[in-house]
Amino acid sequence: MRNFFRRLVSDYKEYLLLVVLSIISLTILAQNEKPTAKHLKTFALGNFAVVNEITNSIVSIFKRDESSDDLRNENAHLMLELNRLRKYHIENEELRSMIAFKDTSNYPLIPAKIISKLVTKSQGNFIVNRGSNNEIRKGMPVINANGLIGLIMDVTENYSVVQNLYNSNLSIAVTLQRTNVDGILNYDGNNLIIKDIPTTYDVQIGDIIETSDFSSLFPPSIPIGIVSKKESNILGLLHNITVEPFANISAANNLFILKIIPSKQINQLEMNLIK
Amino acid sequence: MNIQNLKPILFFIPLAVIQLVIVPLISISNIAPNLVFILIAYFTLRHGQSYGIILGFILGFLLDIISGGLIGAFMFSFTLSAFVVGYFYGENKIDINISTYFFLIILFVCGSINSFVYAVISNSNSNISLFFMMLEEGILPGLYTALFGLPIVIFHPKEGI
Repeated sequence: MRNFFRRLVSDYKEYLLLVVLSIISLTILAQNEKPTAKHLKTFALGNFAVVNEITNSIVSIFKRDESSDDLRNENAHLMLELNRLRKYHIENEELRSMIAFKDTSNYPLIPAKIISKLVTKSQGNFIVNRGSNNEIRKGMPVINANGLIGLIMDVTENYSVVQNLYNSNLSIAVTLQRTNVDGILNYDGNNLIIKDIPTTYDVQIGDIIETSDFSSLFPPSIPIGIVSKKESNILGLLHNITVEPFANISAANNLFILKIIPSKQINQLEMNLIK
Repeated sequence: MNIQNLKPILFFIPLAVIQLVIVPLISISNIAPNLVFILIAYFTLRHGQSYGIILGFILGFLLDIISGGLIGAFMFSFTLSAFVVGYFYGENKIDINISTYFFLIILFVCGSINSFVYAVISNSNSNISLFFMMLEEGILPGLYTALFGLPIVIFHPKEGI
């Protein structure tokens, strides 16, 4: 009997090895949100990101930063627009104070730089050079000059993992700016999609999508993108809306982290939903 | 511990840095080569299937924890694809496998399997057709990975051929 097993193991050792290691891998995959896995990831990430940051700083010497030209151009446009908006802001503040409306536009921004990226079709994430030492917390939104980029998912002392819009695990409550139609934005591995919007709702190609008032993860009115396509399902009752993001996520380099401390309880609920 | 066993780990560190810092700069529509997989395929073809499976498992785990992705995703895909690479192993075929263009075919086939398996287990919200997924998340990254195996074919000493 023992010889039989010995021969079996010897003849099929590659298959046994594959089965055993595959089961271990899939078990670990299912345990991703467990504290032990988180601690391990935080430890490894924190240490290895130092090497990535050094390499990134060397690479960036040879890399032309195209964003600086765009930023100069945008800065001039924004300066003109700012002057115009200042007048409206004063008027708006007076009206808001009359109805005791909460101001959501004044969150502090923490600049951050991407030091490494995991390039896959469905697991878009970045590692940025800001961490708990810079008062970064899990759940803070990440933006750039054009719009929403993603959400802080893991934080070490000096580095953080950003789950970007091109990550199929991230769901965002969004609204159409023009008509206030609400929906949930997801990445399906190819496009950003808002599913199951009734065809009776007024949705036009080119409508601006922004974060919704209902989201407690993101402050309202952060621009995300525009409606680029709408497809109705077989019965013609519901639309699937494809969204083209404003921010060029693949080419993003410099980001800002919105330093907001969301309601802990609601945040935990939403983070659990994302998981 | 045999230095031979440490070799892939030593190669892994600079390759992982390149994979996470430089490869994103040359990615096309989020399609990128997987340099760590080339390393696994190379050592599997040199040392055999069992060695490759264990190496895929270990390097997959390391890449998972340092990239900020899902722990277990690369572990599983590398383990599985190293098993497939192992089928091409032969004690008398090591040089033919590595020093000829056959290496690129192995990289393409197994790299496609690796990328596809990774995409399937890491994409929790997919409505994409299987064919499209196989093409965009399997074959194209596999092709790109194979392209990066070309320097190995060119510069690897052709001793037994």
